[in-house]
Amino acid sequence: MSSFLQSHFNSSAIPTIRSTRTFRRNPDLSPTKFQQDQQQDQQQQQQQAYYQQELHSASSIPGQRQVSSHKEIRQYAEQTLGSGSALAQAVKLPKGEDVNEWLAVHVVNFYNQLNMLYGTVTEFCSPSTCPRMIATQEYEYLWQDPMNRRKPPVSMSAPGYVEALMTWIQGFLDDDSVFPTKMGVPFPRQFPALVRTIMKRLFRVYAHMYCHHFDEINELGLQTHLNTSLKHFVLFCREFQLLSPKDYGPMDELVSRMLDDDGKSK
Amino acid sequence: PGRIGREFYKKANSPKTKRLVTVCQMYFLDYYCDLFDYVISRRDRIKQVEEILDGLPFQERSLQWNNYVGRERAFLRKKRTKPRNKDFH
Repeated sequence: MSSFLQSHFNSSAIPTIRSTRTFRRNPDLSPTKFQQDQQQDQQQQQQQAYYQQELHSASSIPGQRQVSSHKEIRQYAEQTLGSGSALAQAVKLPKGEDVNEWLAVHVVNFYNQLNMLYGTVTEFCSPSTCPRMIATQEYEYLWQDPMNRRKPPVSMSAPGYVEALMTWIQGFLDDDSVFPTKMGVPFPRQFPALVRTIMKRLFRVYAHMYCHHFDEINELGLQTHLNTSLKHFVLFCREFQLLSPKDYGPMDELVSRMLDDDGKSK
Repeated sequence: PGRIGREFYKKANSPKTKRLVTVCQMYFLDYYCDLFDYVISRRDRIKQVEEILDGLPFQERSLQWNNYVGRERAFLRKKRTKPRNKDFH
């Protein structure tokens, strides 16, 4: 096992990554959805208190986009959604193919697509327009330094978060013992778990773009590309059960709508 | 549209943004053409192989099937690891 994989991805730490520590939820904005977790530790409570404080100060920052309702995101996206039945066929594992090989090809694909899509909005997504990596005002994604797990997850600007995320993933893609390039070399044992973590984090880039840059993407004429990419992504995740509904956060409703439409068209 | 101001159009019409948008559109077009081409041709290959295997003795069948599956997997891996930009620096 490579040192990169060991230092950047500890499979025993997956539950930690999955836990709510990587995002903060604001109870004020979703009173019906927010459930007080009885086992919530002190650190989380402190974090939430901090978030509420921050939120009040953040609302005065000009330029922070406020596309905050599910309905609004959905309306935007629905205007451009095509039929996904061809995509639904394309995500299926070909007969006899190795699952890890198939997952690997797709991780590379979604990584590239998001690089392309986010690349077009880099002029509009700066530390001043998006000082925090958020998706609607309800969700903020925090970054945990992969090199130092004892440090608590930190709030970053959206471009800072995306850059850290993409660099983190690129490290795996370049590592021959994680994404083998030589014929016959198998994938590491933790590969499926790593794929789930990568996909979960990649999804946050879609969420940020939908919630805070959809107008701009629309004006640039890339809405069909973004929608196709997301649809492909969620169909792939469903096929291999990579993400759970809560990983979709503010996009949960849009995602289930995309999957429903696909069910009808088949 | 109310949210988008003059500043947006200035940036959107800059050569840099226009180039990025074009590259992105080309990438998607190329990717999805290639993907559907791959999916369809692979389905055809499977059908073809299965037809041929039907005529073979039982033991020979699984041997040849594994041989075929191995070559498909090698092809897929090659596709994933095709030279990237950085390899040319």
